[in-house]
Amino acid sequence: MNETVTVKEKGSISGFVKSFGLPRLIIAAFLIVLLILSPFVGADLPSQITNIIARFSWNGILVLSMVPMVHSGCGLNFGLPLGIISGLLGATLSIEFGFTGGLSFVVAILIATPFALLLGSIYGWLLNRIKGGEMMIATYVGFSSVSFMCMMWLILPYKSPTMVWGLSGKGLRTTISLEGYYNQVLADFLRISIGKLTIPVGTLLFFAILALAIWAFLRTKTGTAMTAVGSNPSFARAAGINVDKIRLLSVIMSTWLGAVGILVYEQGFGFIQLYMAPFYMALPAVSAILIGGASVNKASITNVIIGTILFQGIVTMTPTVMNNLIKMDMSEVIRIIVSQGMILYALTRKTEVSK
Amino acid sequence: MSKNSTVRKRGSLAAFLRHSSVPIMFIIICAICIPLSGLSPSYLVNEIVTRMGRNSFLIISLLIPIMAGMGLNFGMTLGAMAGEIGLILVSDWQIIGIPGMVLAMILSIPFSILLGLFCGKMLNKARGREMIASYIMSFFINGVYQLVVLYLMGSVIPIKHSSIKLPRGYGIRNTVSLLSMRQKLDNLIPLTIKGVKIPVATFLVVLVLCLFIVWFRRTKLGQDMRAVGQDMEVARDSGINVDRTRIISIVISTILAGFGMVIYLQNMGNIATYSSHSQIGMFCIATLLVGGASVDKASIGNVFLGVILFHLMFIVAPRAGAAITGDSMIGEYFRVFVSYAVITLALIMYETNKRKTKILEGERLKLEQMEEEAK
Amino acid sequence: MKLKRLLVRLIAILAVVALAAVMFVIGRGHTVYFDNKALETDDASYEPFYQVQVFVDDESVAKLGAGDRGMVSVMGQDFSMILHITPEKDAKKVGSAVKLTLPYAMDGIILNIPALLNGAPEEVYQSEFIPAPVEEEDEEVILSDEFEMPLEG
Repeated sequence: MNETVTVKEKGSISGFVKSFGLPRLIIAAFLIVLLILSPFVGADLPSQITNIIARFSWNGILVLSMVPMVHSGCGLNFGLPLGIISGLLGATLSIEFGFTGGLSFVVAILIATPFALLLGSIYGWLLNRIKGGEMMIATYVGFSSVSFMCMMWLILPYKSPTMVWGLSGKGLRTTISLEGYYNQVLADFLRISIGKLTIPVGTLLFFAILALAIWAFLRTKTGTAMTAVGSNPSFARAAGINVDKIRLLSVIMSTWLGAVGILVYEQGFGFIQLYMAPFYMALPAVSAILIGGASVNKASITNVIIGTILFQGIVTMTPTVMNNLIKMDMSEVIRIIVSQGMILYALTRKTEVSK
Repeated sequence: MSKNSTVRKRGSLAAFLRHSSVPIMFIIICAICIPLSGLSPSYLVNEIVTRMGRNSFLIISLLIPIMAGMGLNFGMTLGAMAGEIGLILVSDWQIIGIPGMVLAMILSIPFSILLGLFCGKMLNKARGREMIASYIMSFFINGVYQLVVLYLMGSVIPIKHSSIKLPRGYGIRNTVSLLSMRQKLDNLIPLTIKGVKIPVATFLVVLVLCLFIVWFRRTKLGQDMRAVGQDMEVARDSGINVDRTRIISIVISTILAGFGMVIYLQNMGNIATYSSHSQIGMFCIATLLVGGASVDKASIGNVFLGVILFHLMFIVAPRAGAAITGDSMIGEYFRVFVSYAVITLALIMYETNKRKTKILEGERLKLEQMEEEAK
Repeated sequence: MKLKRLLVRLIAILAVVALAAVMFVIGRGHTVYFDNKALETDDASYEPFYQVQVFVDDESVAKLGAGDRGMVSVMGQDFSMILHITPEKDAKKVGSAVKLTLPYAMDGIILNIPALLNGAPEEVYQSEFIPAPVEEEDEEVILSDEFEMPLEG
């Protein structure tokens, strides 16, 4: 991959570095080094790759949910927890109503959708009133809503014995097993296994469909209007685009994708995690899309795919390689520095601040 | 005339209510929760006085960046980490008591300056989104802090005592005991009034800091900072080095936060090496906002009112929640929710106000232009 | 003008460094252990007293029978204590003030009181306390960037 690019950018390595971004390049190089090293330090490469693909399939849609808001100039969606909450409501209600197996997944999405539309509209309305300060407020809207839902998980009259605490018979558990519900429904669909390597084709397909839908949407009239709003709001306004409406739409889309994203994540992971769990789910998704080459006001599907692979690759590879290499598990520290450093880098880039 | 003045009065009352809606809301919450919690007034007073001594210094460190128009400095966590590094080194060297505290503060200064410079430079690049950048900055530096404390201390930076070093030979333990300086400052001048223990010396230190802030506002640098906070363009035109002024404000804030952390931890009596600093930023910011501050305006009075109201809520909420619902966790989550909701609300109010003034300004300019053209 | 400013800054930095150095010296903490135990050397042997009461800063910090050990934490190297000694059962108490300089490098210092009071040389009555190495499991440090869950205050 490196070679072809160098050929294309003949003689202008610095130009390539500039366009691709130095931090991104370092991260990609780091991952490649890890991959090359892994057989030598005794790590099992096929199972590592299986792991990366699986994690990519879980997280892809959560990262994808960043795209609409970035396009419309609302910045990085630090308010992802709001979408996640809609998804969690869908998941828990679907189980509460007694749906099982693959059907519970479909119902979960169906129930999550109105919540996502409602919460997304309120959230979008709010973000329209505070243009310019979206990201900070998004963060805290996410935090407030997660801590509010912490109370609700305890108070709401859920009854299903698989979900509530066994002793008191009320209040949802912190983790709920999806065994018998939609655990692995997508992943098991058309799953390919070659030796130790397994590929959850169903989940990847589901991601591909949604990604394609977003890609196609961005080429429709509304989609191009969204990009216009993001890149130059005053120009868009002059062209007769209703800026607030487009922004609202993008926020609703992001929120809905977040809701679907968490459901897909759960079907891979096998558990629903409630309470404080959604708190920090925004940050990995944000740094993933940035690692993939997006900036605060520019993001593409390619950025999503590359970013998720790189991010999840580092998350899975570093612990094993590091442990085998220097008997020192520094992976957590590396992950924190890399992902937060990436966000910081993106925030300090000179970009046109949307008005 | 008289009618006019009543209108104005009513207007100012409404403005007052709007400005202090958060403190008023908290007074109401506390008024409901205190009787429900069943905690005795003397216990509450004791707790509040202790927390006032413990937290005030940290919260005051937020004031200077607000003055310089950089918003709530979530990067104060950086200073807290510098303070912790100072304390870890000092406890390894077995310097105890007040001298240990002073030495830890001095040691934290170079780290704070370094981190503050870095943070300030970054925030200058992230103009217009300082808060989110300083917020992410705290996460990023937390990673670096963990790298230093967990991997470099004991292996590169010499750490002698096994009481603070992990048994594997490098890295610092989860908790570092500060027993030898525990509440040494608080108890330096012992005073107990009606069963309420008052940390006189700590309050004196806070008083000195308050005087410093008041004095600082009047210096040339302080005036510059306020000018930068009001309007960067105007400040630049009048010959102020805006970037430098903003960096200095962050550096000062970081240093003060380092000192504040040392005071905070001497009261706690131990360092939770990997988590003590993590809650500090949110806590102090929520406290300041509860005291009636906003993103662009905060005074020393806000600090103390905030400590009283916010911490009162924090103490009584779990028990009140348990009394109402029979489940103490609801109260716990309630106070978490309220903390975040307060910050969210303050941020929203700040942004909407900013937008309103911007629109008004725009209209005024348009009018002026039209008048100009009419001439 | 610029030179003056530089000078002021230099002096300020030096003052802070000097303050740090002072703190370094006066703030050094030591743990002093008092042994009221028998001690034998090549030339002499010291017998424990019936009872010793140790006062540091007008506070009774230890009351030692024969064979007992007491301790106190102190700051700085100038150490003074007052001993109330009862040499034998039913004997009269004898007061005795002791002043000595503690070695900076030692964290824990054992003082053998019988040897100290009977005029033994420093290397006899004073020894370093070395804590017994404890076999312990490595504690697990859980790192995360999950900040700010204010469930405690």
